[in-house]
Amino acid sequence: MAQKRKRPKSLYRRMKENKKVQAVATVLLPVLLGIVILSLWQTQVLHHWFKTDTFTLPLLDRIGVIISENTGKIWENVVATMTVAIIGLVAGSLLGYGVAVLAALFPRAGKGGLSVIGAFASIPVVALAPVMNNWTKDVSNDASTRSMVAKILVVMLIAAADMGLNAYRGLTELKPYAKDLMATYAAKKRTTFVKLQLPNSVPYIFVALKVSVPASIMTAIVSEYFAEYITGVGRQIRENIVLSQYSTAWAYIATACLLGIISYVVLMIVQSILLRRYH
Amino acid sequence: MKRINKLFEKKWASTLMWIILLIVAWEIAATVVAATKRTPENIMPHLYQILAAAFSTKPVASGMSATMVVLTSARATILRALLGFLVGTGIGFLLALVMKMSGICEKMLFPYLMLIQLIPVLGLAPIIFSITGDINKSRVIIAGILSFYPVATNTLAGFKSVDKDKYDLMYTYAAKRRTIYTKVLIPSAIPYFFTGTKIAAPMAITASILVDTLQGDGGLGCMLSQSLKHAMSIYVFWLIVFFSAFIGVFSSCLMTWIENLISPEKRGLRKAAKMKGGN
Amino acid sequence: MKKRMTKMVSAMLIAAMTATMVVGCGSSDKKEEGGSSSGSTTQAAADTSSVMSHEEIIKKAAADGKVGNWGLGNEYEVLALLAKYGLPTEYLSEDFTMDGFDDDSITLASAMTYNELGLTKNDYEGGYGYGDTVGYIDMNDEGVAMLEDNIFCSKTFAKENPETVKAFLYASLKGWEYAVENPDEAAQICFEAGSSVSQDHQSYMAGEVAKLVSTDMNGNAVTDDIGKINTDAMQQTLDIAKQYVTLDDSAAQEAFSKLTLDDICDSSFYDEAKASDGKFNVEKSEVSIQLKWLPQAQFMGYFVADAKGYYDEVGLKVNIVSGGGDISETTAVNNGTVDFGVTWPTNMAVADAGGMDLVEIAQIYQRSGLTLVYKYDNFKAE
Repeated sequence: MAQKRKRPKSLYRRMKENKKVQAVATVLLPVLLGIVILSLWQTQVLHHWFKTDTFTLPLLDRIGVIISENTGKIWENVVATMTVAIIGLVAGSLLGYGVAVLAALFPRAGKGGLSVIGAFASIPVVALAPVMNNWTKDVSNDASTRSMVAKILVVMLIAAADMGLNAYRGLTELKPYAKDLMATYAAKKRTTFVKLQLPNSVPYIFVALKVSVPASIMTAIVSEYFAEYITGVGRQIRENIVLSQYSTAWAYIATACLLGIISYVVLMIVQSILLRRYH
Repeated sequence: MKRINKLFEKKWASTLMWIILLIVAWEIAATVVAATKRTPENIMPHLYQILAAAFSTKPVASGMSATMVVLTSARATILRALLGFLVGTGIGFLLALVMKMSGICEKMLFPYLMLIQLIPVLGLAPIIFSITGDINKSRVIIAGILSFYPVATNTLAGFKSVDKDKYDLMYTYAAKRRTIYTKVLIPSAIPYFFTGTKIAAPMAITASILVDTLQGDGGLGCMLSQSLKHAMSIYVFWLIVFFSAFIGVFSSCLMTWIENLISPEKRGLRKAAKMKGGN
Repeated sequence: MKKRMTKMVSAMLIAAMTATMVVGCGSSDKKEEGGSSSGSTTQAAADTSSVMSHEEIIKKAAADGKVGNWGLGNEYEVLALLAKYGLPTEYLSEDFTMDGFDDDSITLASAMTYNELGLTKNDYEGGYGYGDTVGYIDMNDEGVAMLEDNIFCSKTFAKENPETVKAFLYASLKGWEYAVENPDEAAQICFEAGSSVSQDHQSYMAGEVAKLVSTDMNGNAVTDDIGKINTDAMQQTLDIAKQYVTLDDSAAQEAFSKLTLDDICDSSFYDEAKASDGKFNVEKSEVSIQLKWLPQAQFMGYFVADAKGYYDEVGLKVNIVSGGGDISETTAVNNGTVDFGVTWPTNMAVADAGGMDLVEIAQIYQRSGLTLVYKYDNFKAE
């Protein structure tokens, strides 16, 4: 890059500096790659590369047909999965942020709490899910309610750990001069907290969410495998694989991917709106 | 009082306090469960019961004691997880490097990184299984896929975190592109890389355990579902839950330890801390 | 940092141990007493004369919405039973344990005779010790039974290796015959082969499996033709399956509704194996069979054939691959990872409808092992 500076701007470089071109490229390039992959898939080139057949890796039109034939059923399962993921994510993030605030205000006791919460993030979901099932037996007589509570708890723990660790960094890793400035103002601890620490943590919240949004959906899906009540996108994938209905399983896999993409896009939009106002 | 206060300045003391709190909470709950349920060991056994099961020599399956069952199956699971983790981490790092070098690659690939994270593991398993024709290979590949994503995204974030000042400094030195990478970019990305591996390591273990439940040639996941179905002592289940929680947390700690060992920045900090301590 | 870690870990361990010890001392002896008193010994055998009839039990449990099953392809017999009595075909999802049955959230719970039923009745480790205080409804008696464990392979494999298939069947059936005659010894062989199941439960299982292998759905003894595909029973299985299997993939559903016995079973290998003198000219001497679950007495025939050298006699080296997951036996056989598999005919038929190319070559279990278990106390006649 150092050498390029001296030359007159090339077309490539001009494109690189043009914001509009960049915005278009951000959308266009992945879409192009996607189209290439999908067309390789539909024309069975992928099958040839991976030495597999259209049974294990069904053609796209077949998956599409199944999705369009079962929209009602798929929607029910999507709602079940997303309810768990969203409630768990929101509750967990609030909990995690709360712990981070406590840890920032009372570092002596709080730091340990944070590392304990961090440890929860490292516990495999597969071990957490059956335990939560056992513990929520008394929550309700209705199997669908109690297994939903169990799933939400698992998602909550994972989301809380993500948020807690990141938000704590946001609340404490301040620019040195900012802290000094606060000191010269003789600001109270409270003022420092509200005016400096809280705003400083906002970008970190999004860092946490970038990890925990996909993680929540993923956790919801995995904990469905172990749940008592048979519902959700993840559970449908498993049920159909058990019954060797790979095409249907793929229809649900595609649904799961869509859920992930949509929620990520929503997160990005929210982030750009919020952070723009914030700056 | 002062001494106690001083004690709490150390992080481990406060961690310890939290752990004791958790243990107390567990024991209280376990006592309640024991008083109200007919099969308390299925829901929440006392910790001493789990410890007793861990140290008991009574054979529970094929002449092995509970601990031996857990350890033998853990070996298989951890080895696969480790192999997958190493492969995934390597690919993740390289991918981040490629994405840093070429903006087009980054734009093209980044959304798909998200996507890969969102394809449910269990959905992938049979497909990968049918491609490789070998369950062990599929386990390694799945652990790899799950661990490469956090490493890739975090390392990329690390590359991007480099201050513009540092670039400018390198320009004034007229440094070669290669030098910029080896002297500036990679060292400053290392802490981020380790943040990624800290997420990836437990992820690889979770993946490996989950894939275990697909086919039954040993492995923690397999034993987990077995003991849940009461094919053997339920304490095997609890041992596996605690053990997998432990290796999850441990794997993450191990990463911290390795990071401290090799990262130059932390090495400097440690030296400084030592000198301070010496005074 | 390292030092601090070690410190932290050791402190954690000490704290955990002391805490559990303190609590443990207080209540451990009391706990032991409680545990043993729940065994069957203390509960008097229930008076079965005052219990409702099976029909009444099914209707009452269905009205309460407390019929349980695991789903995942295991539910068709229960659905057929409910339909038989004109009841809505709904059931509660049963988890891996019998805890739901234990705490009465499920009053009529699905249980395999050789597994869950034993755990419900017996009081060895993992058992619930209900003894004689529970009764069960047998799917075979109700006429809604479906066949279970079979032997299958892919059609291509059978076509290319007919002698191997016959040799494998010959030796496996010999193993099953021996196991049915000597279930205790078979249980011991399974246990030594690395079973995950406790020895007590293993011998119980072997005894029950022997019954399923040597009795047909009508309760008649099957002695000479163990493993034969009984056309009537198979037709009943397929008919029930067609009625209750619902697939989201309309193409697969249509293919499934058109399946006939000839599409999914081939008795010719069985017949030729039975007629042979035990000498085969095998095309492939090293073969593998994938079980439906982990090694346990459910599959004792193969372990016996292996341990007794029956496979060696026909010139085969057999690798018994344990199952244990949900997906693998049909997938593994279809993609050639293993040569033979054990699964349920319904699962195999559904897999065929989905596009796999599998065929059943022998039917080991001649009757259904599924029962619905209930506590006498919950169904007292008024």
